[in-house]
Amino acid sequence: MAQLRQDHDEFKKRKAVVLVIGPEDAQAFKEYWRENRLPFIGLPDPTHGVLKLYGQEINLFKLGRMPAQVIIDPRGAARFVHYGHSMADIPENAELLSLLDSINRV
Amino acid sequence: MAKVEINTPAPDFELADMKGETVRLSDFRGRASVLLVFNRGFA
Repeated sequence: MAQLRQDHDEFKKRKAVVLVIGPEDAQAFKEYWRENRLPFIGLPDPTHGVLKLYGQEINLFKLGRMPAQVIIDPRGAARFVHYGHSMADIPENAELLSLLDSINRV
Repeated sequence: MAKVEINTPAPDFELADMKGETVRLSDFRGRASVLLVFNRGFA
């Protein structure tokens, strides 16, 4: 999340909105957002409806959720989908930004 | 488990943000790209 915050301006320049979805409730989101001064839109999903809709993987052995990222273009199509297979399996921002560049070129 | 395929319409959803305001994925259609981040939890 820190990495994403650092590059938030780069995402903004590319007309991308960052939505962060997680299983915690609104109170936990509020606290985390305040502590970390996060500029993104945070969406608590305590009933896991959207997490399930998008198939976020749960690693039963490590009892945790795997990170996942999806880029959706302005037409509403998914252009990048990455399901992490470990906690550290997160794509580089550079990869996401270059994909946004290519979306914006058309 | 359902997964989202590339180059297919992303499933729309709506959730309340931290202030209780409704945010829909389709709100951004025609206006912006969206990076959806599924967080693994605040640890």
